[in-house]
Amino acid sequence: MGGRVLVVDDEVEMQRALRAGLQYHDFDVRTVGSGEEAIRESAAWRPDVILLDLGLPGMDGFATLRALRPATRAAVIVVSVMPGEKDKVRALDAGADDYVVKPFGTEELVARIRAVLRRQADVTAGEPVVRTGDLEIDLARRHVSVHGETVRLTPTEYELLRYLALHAGKPVSHTTLLRQVWGEYAVGDKYNTRYVVAQIRKKLGDDPANPKYIVNEPGVGYRLEA
Amino acid sequence: MNRRLAPYAVAIAAAVAITAVIGVVAPTATPSALSSLYLLLVLWVAARWGRGPAITGSVVAFLLYDFFFVPPVGTFNVRGPAEVLELAVLLAVALVTSQLAASQRLAQGTAEALAKDSRALYELATSMLRAGDVSQALELVSDSAQKLPTVERFAVAGESGQLAGSPLTADELRQAGWSRERAQAVGIAIKDGAVVPMKTHGGASSVAYLPLQSGVVVLALGDDHAEASDMRTLAALIGLTDLLLDRRRVTVEAERARGLEASDRLKAAILSSLSHELKSPIAALRAGLTALTAPQAGLRDEQRELLGDLDRQAARLDRMVGDLLALSRLEAGLEMEREPHSLAEVAGASLRQMRSLLKGHEVTVRIPDDLPPVEVDEMQLGRVFSNLLENAVEWGPERGGIEVGAVVIDDHVEAWVENDGPAIPPADLDRVFDTFWTRRSSGTGLGLAIVKRVVDAHGGVIRAENRRRGPRFTFTLPLAHVAVG
Repeated sequence: MGGRVLVVDDEVEMQRALRAGLQYHDFDVRTVGSGEEAIRESAAWRPDVILLDLGLPGMDGFATLRALRPATRAAVIVVSVMPGEKDKVRALDAGADDYVVKPFGTEELVARIRAVLRRQADVTAGEPVVRTGDLEIDLARRHVSVHGETVRLTPTEYELLRYLALHAGKPVSHTTLLRQVWGEYAVGDKYNTRYVVAQIRKKLGDDPANPKYIVNEPGVGYRLEA
Repeated sequence: MNRRLAPYAVAIAAAVAITAVIGVVAPTATPSALSSLYLLLVLWVAARWGRGPAITGSVVAFLLYDFFFVPPVGTFNVRGPAEVLELAVLLAVALVTSQLAASQRLAQGTAEALAKDSRALYELATSMLRAGDVSQALELVSDSAQKLPTVERFAVAGESGQLAGSPLTADELRQAGWSRERAQAVGIAIKDGAVVPMKTHGGASSVAYLPLQSGVVVLALGDDHAEASDMRTLAALIGLTDLLLDRRRVTVEAERARGLEASDRLKAAILSSLSHELKSPIAALRAGLTALTAPQAGLRDEQRELLGDLDRQAARLDRMVGDLLALSRLEAGLEMEREPHSLAEVAGASLRQMRSLLKGHEVTVRIPDDLPPVEVDEMQLGRVFSNLLENAVEWGPERGGIEVGAVVIDDHVEAWVENDGPAIPPADLDRVFDTFWTRRSSGTGLGLAIVKRVVDAHGGVIRAENRRRGPRFTFTLPLAHVAVG
């Protein structure tokens, strides 16, 4: 069993296609057509993943997300037609775990669902060491190494990398990074996060044009490869 | 009778009257007591009317005194030092007293004039505060100016024509426009906080033009000698007009900006609802088609192959719709968000996004580590790279090479995407960027057109050329002024 997926989409064709596609990949699927139903079903059925379309009639996707988030442990993947970058950032900052742009193929969607499920499992396990390729971040010892060789980071660089590592695989917005690294009242803009990421990449030997570790999410922020 | 001569007449009459009183009442009094009476007269005249009447009074008084009371009575005979001293004292008192009185009167006059000025300006300012808008306030200022005795006409003109005051003729409006465009005053100047009429060859009572920051004051002054305080008040009113015109300009500009913003929002809303309408059916198509290609769906291989073909067509349709929407967005002139970005990072995101399409191709990236940041809209530049990469894959050989590079030249960055496909016919090199122009019936003719629009919008240029290896698309981008690292 791949896990329980709740599909929230007001289009019947989409519901039917996703139910079939995800069931072929061993997921247990239920579909609803509105935000209100999503909140009810999420409480009653306790899904592992919620696929939430932002363009819902009535209670819109963002309102649904805000209502869902405190009550559910499920990973929320936001689905939208041509979302603006601001919508993506808004969704991430409101607690979404990832976003997928419509139209998409089933394979791509399944890969995203598996990724958030894996991440959930990691978080539950409380693994103190995050590994991606040759990069190893030991959160307990505050130690970073590539190929087993220690990498010396400044406190700011480490804080940023640590936050990305805690959310490995999930896109993190510039604003969230700013808040996490520089504090709630950080005065600054995303050039700071860009600058710090550029420094970290240099120290890790990561190529910005072909990054192995820290990936740029255009218009949104950064993501540590899981 | 002229007002100015009246004090002289009074002074003379008073001297005569005193002489008559002395003659009737006390013809035998001592000369010194008599002279004190004349002294009082001179003091009074000097304090009240100033030097001229006082001196006149002293001389007349002395002559009368000499004639009637100094022996030999009946003659103007100045004898001995006593009489000379008498005259000198009277004259000195006249001079000193009149001087003192005059300076005091001047000070009092100035204070009164200032009080009048500030009272008028205060009243104007309060009524302006009550005025609903700038036009109304301008009318109030014009009215106040026209109430000044020296001002015959006062009007305010702006770029769009007359704004307030007495009606202007077409000719005067033209002249006002001329004055505003050249920022040149005609027949008037403001010096030391007061209006100074400058006589032009036109002669008296010609119309004067004073250009301000956002308009022109047109006024006509009377012939009469103007009070200095009125000229100061007029200058203050013109200063007020300047402020009001400036406020009006700011309001007008803000309204215009609000209008533009509203129309941008409308365009964005239409495009967004259009994308939703066009993309939703494609989304359902692709979700359904790809669901059925899973082995668990239990379809035969040739059926799955067919579904795969259909999905690729749906994906292509999706790209075309995306291109069309992107093009309309660019055509609509919706604002870009330009910020300093690392070109390598933006190119990297596009390369990553195109991963599946680029599979099998050998991609080389030649972007120096120390390339300074560029001032770009990240999403739009990403689209430039994606479209050029897509073009390179389409035209290059299977498993061919693709190069992405950048270098700093003077004050900008030159970036390129090159493939090792066949050369573009020289005649087509300029046409490849035309909207809907395509070399293949399967193309949309939009990809490169979008690329060119985006580069244009960044103030850059793009060109297609045939290199030894194959076609190369080179474009320029502006450098940012902030370091990204």
